[in-house]
Amino acid sequence: MTVGSQVKQCLASLKSIEANLNSLSLKTENEEARHAFHESCLKTRKVLQQMEARVGELEYEEPQYKGF
Amino acid sequence: MIIPGWVEILLRTTVAFLILLAAPKIFRRTSIAHFSYFEASAMIIIAVILAVGSFHIGIPVGYSITALITWVLIVGIVNYISLKSVSFRNFIHGKGIPVIKDGKVLEDNLKKERYTTDDLLKQLRARNVFKVADVEFAVLESSGDINVLLKKENQPLTPKDMLIPVAPVKEPQTIVMDGKVMDEALATVGLNRGWLEGELEKQGIAIENVFIGQVDSYGELTVDLFDDKIKVPEPKEKPLLLASIKKTQADLEIFALQTENERAKDLFKNSSREIEEVLKMVQKYLH
Repeated sequence: MTVGSQVKQCLASLKSIEANLNSLSLKTENEEARHAFHESCLKTRKVLQQMEARVGELEYEEPQYKGF
Repeated sequence: MIIPGWVEILLRTTVAFLILLAAPKIFRRTSIAHFSYFEASAMIIIAVILAVGSFHIGIPVGYSITALITWVLIVGIVNYISLKSVSFRNFIHGKGIPVIKDGKVLEDNLKKERYTTDDLLKQLRARNVFKVADVEFAVLESSGDINVLLKKENQPLTPKDMLIPVAPVKEPQTIVMDGKVMDEALATVGLNRGWLEGELEKQGIAIENVFIGQVDSYGELTVDLFDDKIKVPEPKEKPLLLASIKKTQADLEIFALQTENERAKDLFKNSSREIEEVLKMVQKYLH
């Protein structure tokens, strides 16, 4: 597996984590837990965006591994 | 007109039964085992008045009713005053008396209450304490029970003792009973039938097959089925999420070590740190 595909896999995991945290923050009744889920969801989203940029760079460096 | 005796007894008994139905209203809300001496006596007296009044034709109805009303009034007044005044409450209902203090048995207090050592040991055993030395403090309540505070090292371990953070929980709501959906309970947790159907479909269960369905304050649905041969999948959403956060954090760290591009290294390192923080924030809620 190339580094590019590993990073992409990680990106996919991040997306799933972000979505799960988001859904939990909507479902949870407890105010404190809801807040923690929301905050962590936002944090994850920030990381996600950084990683997306990095994947873009990798694709530019190794165009043969573009896409899935 | 002369009423035959059995008709009168029938009438009196019916009235006594109706009065009996109203009786729980006048007593404190505790189990009979925890009644104080006064309350227990008052209850028996009222019961006897009702019983005797219901079949003893020789006593005019008015007499029994007068006695009954007087007793009910006394109980009512005593209960009212003991609500207001601490010293009166202690006088009527009695007060807890320490029988073990600082790990030492207070023999004088035991003697004063005419409580034998055997009684003490028996009550301790009923509280699952077989060794007097394990007890820090014990109170003899006015009902005759003994309540025990164990020494700290003998108390059950709690998350607080272990400094383990735990997620707060609220009471779960029962949203399916005997295969019927409880719309009101669903509404109190802000969910609807559409959500329920979706969740059940995810677990591969038909709604008719659900005997009890409960949802906790984190929106997790757990069900018990009519058909006990079907195995219900355990909810895995939260443990999976926790595992995938941990994995991602580790992956990011590996990337940071592998890459030779300085800028990328920093990026991965920062991201890994951020995800670690996320992990710390949500860990206790995901167990």
